[in-house]
This record gives sequence, C-alpha cells and structure tokens, in this order.
Amino acid sequence: MELFPSDAVFTPDVSWVALWPMVVMALGGLLLLTISSLGKGRIPRPFYALWAVLTSVGSFITAIPLWAQVHGWEDAVLWYDPEVDPTGPFSTVGGVIAADGFSVFLTMLIAVSMVAVVLVIEAYLDREQDRFPEMFALTMFAALGGMVMVSANDLIVLLLGLETLSVAAYVLAAMDLRRVQSQEAGFKYFVLGAFSSAFFLYGIAFIYGATGGTGLVHITDFLAANVLLGSSGLMLLLGLGLLIVGFAFKVALVPFHSWSPDVYDGTPSPLVTFMSSVVKVAAFAGMLRVLVMAFESAGADWRPVIQGLAVLSLVGGALGAIVQSNVKRLLAYSSISHAGFILLGVEAASDVGTAAVVIYLTAYSALVIGSFTVVTLVARSGDRLHTLTDYQGLGRTSPLVAGLFTFFLLAQAGVPFTAGFYAKFSAVIAAVDAGTAWLAAVAMLSAVIAAYLYLRLVVTMWFVDPAAETDTSHVGVPAAAGIALAGCAAAVLWIGIFPNTLTDWAERSVPAVVQPAPPNLVESGDEADADVEFEVGPDGMPGMPGPMPGEMDFGELDLESLGIDPAELEAMLEGGDLGFDVDVEFEDPPG
Amino acid sequence: MLLNQFLLLGAVLFCIGVYGVLVRRNGVMVLMSIELILNAVNINLVAFGTHLQQATGQAFALFVIPIAAAEVAVGLAIVLMIYRNRRSIDVDSLDEMKG
Amino acid sequence: MGGPITAFASGLLAQLGNDTTNGLVHESVQLAEGAPGFPLLPALVFTPLLGALLIGLIPGSRAELHRATAIITAVVTGVFSLYLLAIFDTADPGFQFVEATSWVSSLDIKFIVGVDGISLFMVVLTGILFPIALFAAKPEHNEKGYYLWLTVLMAGCMGVFVAMDLFLFFLAFELTLVPLYFLIGKWGHGRRVYAANKFFLYTMGGSALMLVAIVGLATMAGAGDDGGISFDLVKIANDGEISRDVARLLFVGFALAFAVKVPVFPLHTWLPDAHTEAPTAGSVDLAGVLLKLGTYGFIRYGLYLFPEASVWAAPVLLTLGAIGIIYGGVVAAMQKNLKRLVAYSSVAHMGFCVMGIFALNSHGIEGSVLQMINHGIITGALFILLGYLYKRRHTYEIAKLSGIQKVAPVFAGLFTLFMLASIGVPGLAGFVGEFLVLVGVFMAHRWWAVVAAAGVILAALYMLWAYQRVFHGEPDEENKGFGEIKLKEALPLAPLVALVVFLGVYPKPVIDRIQPSVASLIEHVEAQVPGFTEPTSQHGSELLGGDLDEGSGDGVSEDDVAGDDAEGAGAAGGPDDDEPQATLEGVTVTVTGGGS
Repeated sequence: MELFPSDAVFTPDVSWVALWPMVVMALGGLLLLTISSLGKGRIPRPFYALWAVLTSVGSFITAIPLWAQVHGWEDAVLWYDPEVDPTGPFSTVGGVIAADGFSVFLTMLIAVSMVAVVLVIEAYLDREQDRFPEMFALTMFAALGGMVMVSANDLIVLLLGLETLSVAAYVLAAMDLRRVQSQEAGFKYFVLGAFSSAFFLYGIAFIYGATGGTGLVHITDFLAANVLLGSSGLMLLLGLGLLIVGFAFKVALVPFHSWSPDVYDGTPSPLVTFMSSVVKVAAFAGMLRVLVMAFESAGADWRPVIQGLAVLSLVGGALGAIVQSNVKRLLAYSSISHAGFILLGVEAASDVGTAAVVIYLTAYSALVIGSFTVVTLVARSGDRLHTLTDYQGLGRTSPLVAGLFTFFLLAQAGVPFTAGFYAKFSAVIAAVDAGTAWLAAVAMLSAVIAAYLYLRLVVTMWFVDPAAETDTSHVGVPAAAGIALAGCAAAVLWIGIFPNTLTDWAERSVPAVVQPAPPNLVESGDEADADVEFEVGPDGMPGMPGPMPGEMDFGELDLESLGIDPAELEAMLEGGDLGFDVDVEFEDPPG
Repeated sequence: MLLNQFLLLGAVLFCIGVYGVLVRRNGVMVLMSIELILNAVNINLVAFGTHLQQATGQAFALFVIPIAAAEVAVGLAIVLMIYRNRRSIDVDSLDEMKG
Repeated sequence: MGGPITAFASGLLAQLGNDTTNGLVHESVQLAEGAPGFPLLPALVFTPLLGALLIGLIPGSRAELHRATAIITAVVTGVFSLYLLAIFDTADPGFQFVEATSWVSSLDIKFIVGVDGISLFMVVLTGILFPIALFAAKPEHNEKGYYLWLTVLMAGCMGVFVAMDLFLFFLAFELTLVPLYFLIGKWGHGRRVYAANKFFLYTMGGSALMLVAIVGLATMAGAGDDGGISFDLVKIANDGEISRDVARLLFVGFALAFAVKVPVFPLHTWLPDAHTEAPTAGSVDLAGVLLKLGTYGFIRYGLYLFPEASVWAAPVLLTLGAIGIIYGGVVAAMQKNLKRLVAYSSVAHMGFCVMGIFALNSHGIEGSVLQMINHGIITGALFILLGYLYKRRHTYEIAKLSGIQKVAPVFAGLFTLFMLASIGVPGLAGFVGEFLVLVGVFMAHRWWAVVAAAGVILAALYMLWAYQRVFHGEPDEENKGFGEIKLKEALPLAPLVALVVFLGVYPKPVIDRIQPSVASLIEHVEAQVPGFTEPTSQHGSELLGGDLDEGSGDGVSEDDVAGDDAEGAGAAGGPDDDEPQATLEGVTVTVTGGGS
C-alpha cells in the first residue's frame, strides 16, 4: 500500500508577494514583444521606452511590500497586510527562491538601474534613428534573469537566472547590425559566457555529487553537519573551484577578464550601462550568496582564492587601463579594478562585508551608468567616437557633459563626498574587520594607480586643446539621457554626503539562511490531527523528491483530508519495515 | 554502481570541449565544443543522481538541455550574422578591437 | 505610507536637522563657557561651500559677480575666524566650541568639530590668507571655475582644522586635492598638467594608506560604545586600547600621508613642481595653508593619537626634518627660477616644523605651531609678490631679472621685508618660531639642533644671493620698464606686513593661546607612554646658560614642567646670545608668562 495516495500532490508553497517583481518584469517584456510584433512598426518607439520604464517602476513598486514583509514593518504597505503574512526572511516555491533583505534590495536596485538604462537606450535609439523595440525587451528579460539570480536559493535556480540574463545579454552585445565590432563583441561575449556557464554548471554538478543536493540551505546544513574527506571533499573543492571560475568570468576578474575590454568596446554604448551595472550586480549577488552563505564553513578554502583574485583584479585592472587610448576600454579596465574592490566585501565573509558589497554595488551602478551615458552621448551618431582624442577639449565645447563626466570619474577615483569614496570606505571597513587589512592596503594603493587613469581623462577633457581630427561640435543632452544623468549624479552625491540611509538599508540587506517552507499539505481551515516528521537515512527515500537525505518535517497534517486512515498509518508504523524512520505524534491516537 | 567511470567519461568530454573552445578556429566548432562541455555536465548530473538515488540529478539535466539549446540558438545566430558580414566564420579573424 | 519613501524622508530629516538623540554634546569635551548659540565652526566650513554653490549657480558670463561672491564668502569666513580668535578662551587647553551631530549612525561616524589652541591659529591663518590671495591675484581666464575651486579649497582646509572625527578629517583632507588639482592644471603655467598630476597622485598615494589606518584604528581601538567601532578622535585618544606594534603600524600609515603633505624629505618632489606651475593664489594657499595640513596632522593625528609610536618614530622624523632643512637650503641656493627657490625654501622651513614637533617638548611644538603660522604669512606674501613680478615680466628666471630696486623701490622694500622674515631675522615673524624650535630640539637632541641652525645660515645665503641678483645692479633694457607696485596691489599685503612685524616683536598673545593646549598634549603623551618624560631644559641650560640652572636639576616636577623649562629656556637664551634684546624680551616674557 502507498503511504501517500496519488491524489496527494506535493505542491510547493508559493508566496506571490516574493515573485511579483519578477512576474511584472517578465510579463512586461513578453507583452512588449507581443505588442511590437503585432504593431509592426506602427507604434512609435517612445511608447516602448515608456512601457519599459513603467514595467521597471512596477517591478520596483511590487518589491516594496516584500521589503516590508521581510523586515516586519508595523504598518501595512500597499496590499501587504501584516495580519496575514508572516514577517522576516522566508523562502518560497519549495525553498528555491529566497526573500530576504539582500534579494529584495538588489531587486530594487536592478529595477531602478533598469529605468536609467532604458532612458539611455531610448536616447541612443532616437539619435540612431533605429526602431529596435527588441532592445528594451531583451534588457527586460536580462533584468528578470538578474532578479532571479539575486533571489536564487538553489543552484539550479541560480543557473536559470544566470542563463536568462546571459543569453539576453549576448544578443544585446551583438545588437548593432552596422558595426562589425558589435557582432565580434557579441561572439566573444557569447563564447566566453557560455564557456564560463559550462564551468559553472560542471561545478554545480560536483557540488551536487558531494553534498547530495543543490539547495543552498541544504548545502549549508550538510557542510555544517558533515566533514567531507577523501573523494567527496575533493569533489566539493573541485566544484567550488569551478564555480568560482565561472563567477570570475562573469564579473570579469583577472585573469578571467580578457573578454571584457573587447566586449565593452564593441557593444553599443547604451547597453554597456546595462552590462556594467545590472549584470555585475546579479553576478556578484549570486557569488556572495553561494560563497558567503552556502559555503561559509568552507571559508578557509575559498577565501584565499578570492583574496588572490582581488589582488590581481585590483592591480591588473588599474595597470591595464593606463595603456588604453579608447575610453570604453579604459572604463572596462577600471570596472575590473572596481570588481576587485567588491571582492574585499565578498572575501570578508561577514555581515559587514555583505553590507559593503551592497553599498559598493549601489554606488557603482550609479557611477557606471552615469559614465557610460556620457560615453554614449559623446560617441555621436553612429556610436563611433571613443578615443581619447575625441574627448580633447570637451570641457570647452560641452562643459555640462564634461563636468558630469569629470564628476563621475572623480567619484570612481574615490574623491570624498561622492558615492565612490563611501563605497571604497565600506570595502576597506569590511576588509579590516575581517582581519585582512593588508588587502585593504593593496586596494587603496591600486586605487591611486587607477586615479591616474581617471586623471588622464580629466586632463584630456579640460587641459588639452582639441586636435585637428576631434569633432568639436557641441554634445547635446537629450531629455531621456538627461534624466538618467541627473538621477545618477544625484545618487552619487547623495550617497557621498548622506551615506546613513544607504548604510542602514545595506545592513538590513544581509542574505539569510531560510528553511524551506513545508509542502503545502494542510488546507487552511482544516483541523490538524498529526505531527509527522520523517528521518531519512543516507540512502534517501525511494521515489520521493526533496532535500534528502536528512530530516523532513511535514508539520501538522490533516490525515483525513489526505485520504490517509490514521489506523492504517499506525499499523504501518508498527510494522517498521518502511526503510526510513517516521516519527508521528497523533493528537488523537487512533484505537 | 560504476560512478567513477561516468565521472571519468564526463571529465574526458569536458576536457575535449575545453580544448575545442580554446583551439578550434571555426565558430561552429567552438559552439559544438561548448555543447560537449554541457553534455559532460549532464552525464555527471545523471550519474550523481542515480548514485544518490534521487530524481534531482535527472531533473537538473532536463534543465540543462534547454539551456544548452537556447545558448546554441543564440550562438548560431551571431555566427550567422558574422558570416553575412564578412563571409568567414574564422574566429581568429575577429580582431577589429585591440588594446 | 510608502515604505522606503518614508524611511528615506525620515532619514533625510534626521540628517538635515540636528539629531538630538545621537548625542549632541560630545561626552569627553566640555562646552566652553559662554559658547555662542551660533554654530561658529560649522559656519567656517559651510560658508565657503555655500559660496561655491552660489558661484556654480551664477551663469558664466557674469565674471564680476563670481569674483565678488568669492571675495565676500572668503571675507565673511575670515571674519568668522577672527571672531573665533576673539572669543577663544585662552586658559582652556581643551577643545572649544564643540558641535556634534550624528552622521552615519551605524558606524558611529559623527560630524564633530572643535578647536583648541593649536588648530585655532590654523583656522585663523586660513581665514586670513584666502581672502588676501583672492584680492591679490586674478585669473586670466575661466573666472567661474577658478573662484569655485578656491572657495571649495577653503572649505576643505577649514574642515581639516576643525574636524574631530577621523572620518570627517579624512574627507576634508582628501577634498583639498581636487580644487588644487584643477587650480594648478587649468590656471597654472608651463608644465601645469604634469605638476597637477604629480601633486594629485603623490598626495593621494600618501593618504591611501591613511584610510586603511583610520579604519583599522576605528575598529581595533574599541573606543565606541560597548567596545565597538568609533571614529571619535578624543574617544580614541583617551579610551582606545591598541597594542604597541599595531599602533606603530597604524602610525606609519598616518605619517606617510602627512609626510607627503608637509612635505618631508624624500617625499617632497611634488612640491617644487606644484608651486612653480600653480597660479599665484594657488601657490599662496598651497604654501600658506595646505602644507600645514601635514604638520597639523602630525600633531593632532600623530602625537595625540599615537603617543608611543610618535616617541618611537621621533628620531627618524627628526633626522628627515634636519635633512629637509639642509637639502632644501642647498637646492634652493642652486635654483635659477625664483619661484622654485621659494618653493624649496618651503621644504626647509617645513623641516623646522617637523623637527619642532618631534622634539616632543613644549618649546619644540609651540615653536612648530608658530613656525607654521609665520611660514604661512611670509611665504604667502612672497608668492603674492612673485605673482606681481610675473605679471610684469612674465618670467621667474633669476638671470633675466636685474636692478629692480632702482625702478621699483617700494616693491623691492616689501620683498626685502618678507625675505628677511623668511631668513629669520630677529624682530620679524620668522625668527620666533625657528628660535623656539631650535631651543626645543636642542633640549632633546642637541646635535640635530646644530644641524638645523646651519639651515638658518643657508637660508640667509640663498635668499640674499637671489635678492642681490634680482634687485641690485643696473636694470637692463627689459627690466627698465618694471612698474612700481600699485596701491591696489599693495593693500592686500598690508595686513601681512603688520602681522610679520607684530608676530616678530610681540608673539605673546599667540603663544599664550597655544601653550595650554601644547602643555596638555605633552601631559597626554607622558601619561600614555610609560617611561617617557618631556625632554626638558636640563641639557639646554647646561650648554646655553649653565649659570641659570633652574631647570637643570634632575627632578623636574611633572606638574610644573611647562613653567620650569620655559623659564629655563627663556633665561638660557638671554645673556649668552648676541641677538637684539627687544626680541629676546618678547620671547622671554611670553614664555614665562604662559608657564605659570
């Protein structure tokens, strides 16, 4: 006889509050694609831009009640009712999606970044006289992938998010049909992206083999309870190493960075804003959640690796940038150096470190979106003017654009009262707090080298006269790009002068280990009459999915509604040949 | 269970794939090499799943297959565009950008 | 109720208003009696910032408005600083006019400002020199940016001198880089871009490790509530517990930043370039105020925060100071460029400041602070005069100048006055500081004092030689047309002339205010460093005036250190020296008076 009759289906508990931001983004993208196919070019492009902006805003708004729920605010926010919904971090869809401060904050960050990115794309498309509403749809899908990544509580879901993000990004990189560089960038991005995904997957396979599960919570618990020796331990380390390599490719850490300057160079400039903000946010979030949360107990194994990568990226990024004469490549190297700084927070493997990563990612997003928006504008029609020569004398011909660019560059260099400084400061705090002050010292010294490259640009814009071949026409700022620029500049200044708010939020944005909610077996309103707890041996339980081996608490069950006769169950338990232990406490013992 | 043999097969496929990505000059061959790596992963996943007597491994492999398909679809599209632009899919000829 | 929006708004309100819940009054500091309700110190910082904002908002075509706004801003700030001087409580050695507001609550970062006798004069110096530099020099192009950066620079300098929170201090310290970078790079001469880059990278490189050291100190000292993180200067200095080796390491991090800023040999190479290529106002503020960020940092964030490490490192820094004095003098003598010569003389003069600080006694430190003030005034004035010279001749080359005394006697006279003050001629400002430093160093390490004294002779050599070549002789064709200084040009110099003479003849009011703070600083060092007692006059009086040996006994009582050695020194200098009596009386009276 069967313990559970076939009509008792295990349906994971779905908390829609946690999924709304993703659902909105996905639906928005799909509808946009549908409308654009049906519209066949009759709908003006600004409509799509507005659509994308509204979708992103919608995504942001739907994340607010989630933030409220996670942090247990007293008063109801929008449709969130504290009477009904629980508070505190929780996981949903069978424990594969986490809703904690970390996921919600970064989801919001992605949504806000998307608004700016869409505006810049709109300004670009307007200048290039392109229609391409697909560009909006693809960025929305990529952002969706990013949101899935920051919320992933299971390696499979993390992979799904990563691929959603990456596949869309490959297409985006190759989007400019007229420039061969764009396709070249797309191909390079694709090959190395797919290559790194493959590494990543291979790593997941080994971790699965070593721990017997892919859930981050499962891995955490498993590593806490077991010491892996011999081949299992080796498999785990191999898996972890491959995972780190995969992440290192994605966020472009030295020595896995060689694609990034080429891709930044070839990709249409407005899309670089997306690649350097949302993609990095998502990849770092995944990295942090996997390393700091799931592999916390293996810190001694991965921390030195991350420290090494941090040093290489910090120094390599700064040195690599010095010889560049192309502004996009230069900024690509500088972002490698920034990635090194973010690793300081990851490497710290602490709440302070996580807060630093969140602060850095927020500040960095504002900085790079601003910087690449300027690059987009200065590139002029055709997206071609990217060399230092093209920036000569910009301070005279277009002081506003040059001034904003200078502001963003100085902020990236870490000048006080800008977000860039506060981000670096947070990273240094995290490193010192974790006892790796030497790494902080290396980071600050490399920041000085990096400062030189920002100064080079500043000098070019303000202190050098335009060359003969420089396009000295005034760089106009379209309204859409202007809004994005103003927003970024305001954010950079705000974080720099009043870092308190962001720090508060960042400190509440710590990923939490959340137990998966039990399968939804109790219909609300039914009387529960048994408390069932399985304890499954190392061989697992035949025919049952789920996080095993280990314990599984089904909580209170209403046996009648499941079609189980309590007396029959009792008899089964008496028999004792189930192959696993079941502990059942009957409220009202049968017989 | 012959877990080790499957893992070994996976490792061999993985290495062939990595070699292919790094060495082959034909864009399509590079795509195929990536496919090889992903299939190596699938072998590993299924082998582990069977070894652990769980369905998770196979379920995961089922996720990987469409992912691989999606990736290759995009990859082929990009290769096709490159071919249209320059009548060649030689990876080494992609050297527009330097620095 | 829009979730984050509410939080956002309340955060904003908390930051804009005074967050009274987070400890408005600084625990370890008593508010001075009769402290004004008006937030004087924040006003010193925010007035220039407000001015900068105004200048930024005024359209670029209204050049005269920019200048007027900048000057009004600077003058108002200057008046605030003088008002501060007037109401400063002379007898109080602690921090006065303290204001504290929470800034980043979770890291216990606060906006704390306060002044004591040491920072007071740095603030006043800033308040005086900036308006004068603005009056004395005009940019040749892009007025808007020029005035904007100058006012921002003023705010940064004020911020450094009034900050009592390590985070705030670092922000202000770093903030000074940007304006000066643009001032040199955009409005400078010759190889301005090279000089600007060099300046920026040197100073940023120096302070890169300071940030790590600050964070290390804040986290490891455990001076916050429940032994947590705190950036509060006074709390860390008094309650911080940090092991000796770590403290020394952190001190090195701080010291590097300050050594670059001062600059201490061998980290000085940015200075001559920056000085030479900077526009006049930039040079004035750079020499007058910005170099003092380094020496002030050594006192406040070196000696005060790391007493043990300072004592440990003192011999090295004393030596480097001495090398700086001699090296600066020798190199200055070889310069062909007049502005570069003054720049190298700064290296030498700042060497005195460093030596005074690390003599670790009250004479040395008081002399050092005085020397900072004097050097600011004198070098500032010299750079202004050089600016006038450049406007007329478009060169700083000594070889191209001659006989200017004949055609412009008043100009030459003013130059002579400041040159003599720079050399350290008694009766003028430069003498008092250098003399006190020499006395202090002599008490602590007599041979270093001998070396430093040789620097004074070198100063006379290079200055007088340069003066002779530029001003004496017959003017050639090109120099015949050298115009005499105009009244409009001379007026900004008038306060500096007055100050140079006043401080040279009667420095007592200044020393009276510095002395209590320095004495309490020395007490702090003695209390924190086991086995350290202030190197006092016992050696000095043996050598200088064995007959007047009040302080020469072994048992200099702890509580009367300042008085004892002050008298010893003052008297010691007396009969054996050939210096004019008037000046010596000035010193003697001052020192004795303050020490009682």
